[in-house]
Amino acid sequence: MAIFFKLIPHVLSWVGIVLVLLRGLSGHRSVVTAASMAGFVIGVVGAFILLGSFPGSFSFGIIKSALGVSFLLLWGVSVATIYLSTGRRAAISGGGRFVNTKLGAGVVSGLAGIVAGAVCACRLTGTGGNALAVVLLALAAGALAYALVFAARAVDRLLPASFTVSMSGMLAAVVALLLFSSSSILRLDLFSPLSMKVMKGVHDFVHQFMESILIPDHLFVRPVVWKYIGFLFGKEVGFWGGMVIWFTPAVLIAMAIHFERLPSVAHIRQGAQRRRLLAAAIRVQRFRLVIPVLSLVIFSAAAYQSSFPSVEYWDPKPLPVSASQAGEIVIPKKGDVNLEDGKLHKYLFKQGDSEVRFFVLMTPAGKLTVDLDACAICKPDGYGQAEGSVICYYCKTLIPLETVGRVGGCNPVPVPFTEKADTVVVDGMTLLNSWSATVKATARVKEGGK
Amino acid sequence: MATAIIETHGLTRNYGDICALKPLDLQVPEGEWLSVMGHSGSGKSTLMNLVGGLDRPSNGALRVGGEDLLMLSEDGLARFRREFVGIIFQQHHLVPYLTAVENVMLAQYFHSVPDEAEARSALERVGLGHRLRNRPGELSGGEQQRVCIARAIINSPKLLLGDEPTGNLDHKSTVMVMELLKELRAEERFTIIMVTHNQEVAAWGDRTIYLDDGVLVREERLKVEG
Repeated sequence: MAIFFKLIPHVLSWVGIVLVLLRGLSGHRSVVTAASMAGFVIGVVGAFILLGSFPGSFSFGIIKSALGVSFLLLWGVSVATIYLSTGRRAAISGGGRFVNTKLGAGVVSGLAGIVAGAVCACRLTGTGGNALAVVLLALAAGALAYALVFAARAVDRLLPASFTVSMSGMLAAVVALLLFSSSSILRLDLFSPLSMKVMKGVHDFVHQFMESILIPDHLFVRPVVWKYIGFLFGKEVGFWGGMVIWFTPAVLIAMAIHFERLPSVAHIRQGAQRRRLLAAAIRVQRFRLVIPVLSLVIFSAAAYQSSFPSVEYWDPKPLPVSASQAGEIVIPKKGDVNLEDGKLHKYLFKQGDSEVRFFVLMTPAGKLTVDLDACAICKPDGYGQAEGSVICYYCKTLIPLETVGRVGGCNPVPVPFTEKADTVVVDGMTLLNSWSATVKATARVKEGGK
Repeated sequence: MATAIIETHGLTRNYGDICALKPLDLQVPEGEWLSVMGHSGSGKSTLMNLVGGLDRPSNGALRVGGEDLLMLSEDGLARFRREFVGIIFQQHHLVPYLTAVENVMLAQYFHSVPDEAEARSALERVGLGHRLRNRPGELSGGEQQRVCIARAIINSPKLLLGDEPTGNLDHKSTVMVMELLKELRAEERFTIIMVTHNQEVAAWGDRTIYLDDGVLVREERLKVEG
């Protein structure tokens, strides 16, 4: 039952996609209906098989790539649309003509259906994947698609004829709905990685700039100066930069429609008739603006969902531990806490004024790993555990469980340890050194380093 | 014989117990200037409101310009009034804080989109090219009525309704307004229905009908050169 409720936003997004496609490709309604239904079923079943065959980040990566490509395509189309709105004619306008053919309508509807279906299927992970389950899933997806497509067609019939959708507006809405649908699934979300890339891009740019003027920043720039430069490395810059990239395509498309030239009516002699035609053209133009503006709202919802995910992270309170005379921290594998249950187990080690947060986790490969509750890049806000990954609270980067324990990037900093009998043994001094060498310095000096 | 632009069969309008218009059969050919006369309360304005889509009949059939007005929704009636009818009132009903040209543009706005050049040219046609930026309070009664005419014809109506348009004007202004209407009708070929108490004004029309207590009692076909 819970899975049913989880599927509702994804299914509604797909219905929205079908509705927009029916409006945008109104000359090919039956093609849109058939192709989007078939695409949805193929997407659900295909992704279900893929996720079952390749558990882990590979399958999610494929679906996420498809979403990324659709967003890039929207960017390209929005730039082309604003270019064409200036009255220039170019070969790129042929793309719109192709989409408006039977074949084009089928391809676009089918692809949108496949991606939407695949996103839905990501909610079904862990339900098993034998042949019977696949057949039952295909039947259920087909029945659901059939019912919902006809609901979308009923809504479409209620809309006024003058409510038309431009090709670029249609693409904006389809991509917005796909990204909204995927933003609630941590491993498919695009906005957080985009913000992070912006943050990293700004960071790298500043470093490159410093180097280009022959100032090795880390050595020569004083902490007080870093306070100002550090603003550029904060996550706010990443967030707002990400927002600009996120919203620009829909804004460009809305602008292109707003500035579209109205048809020439100069040849019509009667003033009232001339004005009536102009008014009709303005009305159609305003209706065409509805979808890009609505897309902006959906993009906002996707960004909000991404920034404030409704996922409940597994984030236990760190248990205090102390070192023995020999300076060793000994944690039993089984006892109050079972270190081998695949969950994140956090500990707090204090010595004098210093304290270190670290965690022990068993990876899906069955290997124990001990890591600092922080990475070498971000402010040490720590990690939480979500489905199949741990997440850096500071930059929202997802680290697949398979790669926890490896060095680099936003991965938690691994700490050497030994397994003795039924215990995990970590050297206290190594922990303290590791924390102050990487995390503490980064946190104080440059607001997390990004 | 021109096609009938207005056709009524048994057209009736009751206000509670009062029967303002008793079953009326009337045909108005396209392009005709019909004067409607009668005492106060005889049903003249009721008839005009019905054919102009401002009111709905209680009974009977009413077709104007091929549209069955009884079948039209509120939106349909609004569209009919917007695109088909121009109205000139005795009290002008100009917006006092708008200039003459803005008053005309207001009618364009509710019809489709405003076009100042066209509104200016309409006022020039009615001889008010020099009064474009004056507000109604700064215009004489005859000038205000000419702004009303410009406003009424700006959307090229097929039917022009006048509810005692010269009731507030002196003889000279009345003649000026009537001549203007005659001129415009010749150019635009619209149909005019004009309610009046004044026999002299009624005589500008092609035909006059007389209403008494909601009943068509008499009809005269006149042709008096103004």
